[in-house]
Amino acid sequence: MKIIENIGKFVIKLFSNLGKFFLFTLFFFKYLFKPKFYLKNNLSYFVNIFISSIPIIALTGIFSGMVLALQSYTGFSRFSAESAIPNIVVLTLTRELGPVLTGLMISARVGSSIAAEIATMRVTEQIDALKTLNTNYYNYLVTPRVLSLTLALPIFVTLVDFIGVMGGYIVSVHRLGFNDNLYLLNTIDFLSLGDYLSGIFKAFVFGFIISIVSCYCGLFSDKGAFGVGSATTNAVVISSVLILSSNYFLTELFF
Amino acid sequence: MKIEIKNLKKKFNENFVLKDISLTIEKNKSTIILGESGCGKSVLIKTIYKLFGFDSGSILYDGKTEVDIDKFSMLFQYGALFDSLKISENIAFTDFINNKTNFERKVLSLMNDVGLNKSIFDRYPSELSGGMKKRAALARALYKNPKVIFLDEPTTGLDPINSDKINDLILEVITKRRITAVSITHDIKSAIKTGDKYYFICDGIIQDKGDCKNILKTKNKFFKSFITGAKY
Repeated sequence: MKIIENIGKFVIKLFSNLGKFFLFTLFFFKYLFKPKFYLKNNLSYFVNIFISSIPIIALTGIFSGMVLALQSYTGFSRFSAESAIPNIVVLTLTRELGPVLTGLMISARVGSSIAAEIATMRVTEQIDALKTLNTNYYNYLVTPRVLSLTLALPIFVTLVDFIGVMGGYIVSVHRLGFNDNLYLLNTIDFLSLGDYLSGIFKAFVFGFIISIVSCYCGLFSDKGAFGVGSATTNAVVISSVLILSSNYFLTELFF
Repeated sequence: MKIEIKNLKKKFNENFVLKDISLTIEKNKSTIILGESGCGKSVLIKTIYKLFGFDSGSILYDGKTEVDIDKFSMLFQYGALFDSLKISENIAFTDFINNKTNFERKVLSLMNDVGLNKSIFDRYPSELSGGMKKRAALARALYKNPKVIFLDEPTTGLDPINSDKINDLILEVITKRRITAVSITHDIKSAIKTGDKYYFICDGIIQDKGDCKNILKTKNKFFKSFITGAKY
């Protein structure tokens, strides 16, 4: 009986949280178009996210491209299709690996920091203080973070795509003996605008998912140090799972 | 502003925190709310502030149910200063986030009123001691010239000397500015020093009330136990 009771509690909590999250997202859109818009706050948050994430983005891009070139060579050399490596590298990066890996890395780097910061603000009554100062926390906390990350992720993905292709180029030319001009020519010729845009569309969606989930986990965290820890973990785990699962449906959309 | 609370009930999930609270906060007087930890004091003042809703009963602000909460201010238990902003930006928060730039003089005057040195104008909250944070938070609470100020355990975490200084400061500020004050405290000494009327909450209801100067003469066994620390 205890097991059934626990399952029941879990299901009720799950649906209650889903409902709360849905309402939270609706309120975000409602306040997005309200006149109180703190431009300075939005801009500074965007710059902050951007600068702090560049190193991790560059590392993600370069190593993904390098590994992709090496692994593709291992497979394609078995049926003498080495010439397809530039095409595979650019296609895989722009359509798939760029947005997904960037999304996962940013969820760990930025999503966790958003959730921890907001959860700490909740625990230390700073959210209540905002209300007493007649400041809407959607406008002041949620909107800048969601807008900044939703707009920043496509830029990050573009950087990962570019740096990844360069990583593939370095390995292919200097390690596998490809002709450098031919590699770049193959890459540019093969890449279509649709490939790039499908990745960018995914980036917008992933940026929105990471930021809205992280804000929600922070704002509705439990109290105390345990609450802050759980909010951070939940933000990263839920964002990552949503990125991976929504990626399938987005891929179907552009298939 | 006079605030009348009648038969207020408030529950979280199925658990009633405030079972039946009736009290009156007189205009320009200092009302003290006393009670054990977890008895619902903070919930009560946040409900009066309209940060929380309530289940039944009524709260009348100068006889009306509606109120502009911009007339209220709150000093939180641990200050609740925004870590990412400088002290000056914290104090003038509403002007700062609305990109107004001419708040320096007002901030400096308030810092002087609460006994803060102007050298901390550009410092961050993490660089201040507990007592300085409380003073900065009080300056922020006073920035919008409130009619009612809510003080949530203003001396918590401070040593006796700093507690006394904060009490003197609160007393001076509410007398000079003619503000209605509602304070939560565990500290009987602070209650006697800064309050006019007191209400003692126990188990979600008002167990005792009276003038602060007569606190030590109370006949209520629950309140006596609270004061002396002895079990009833």
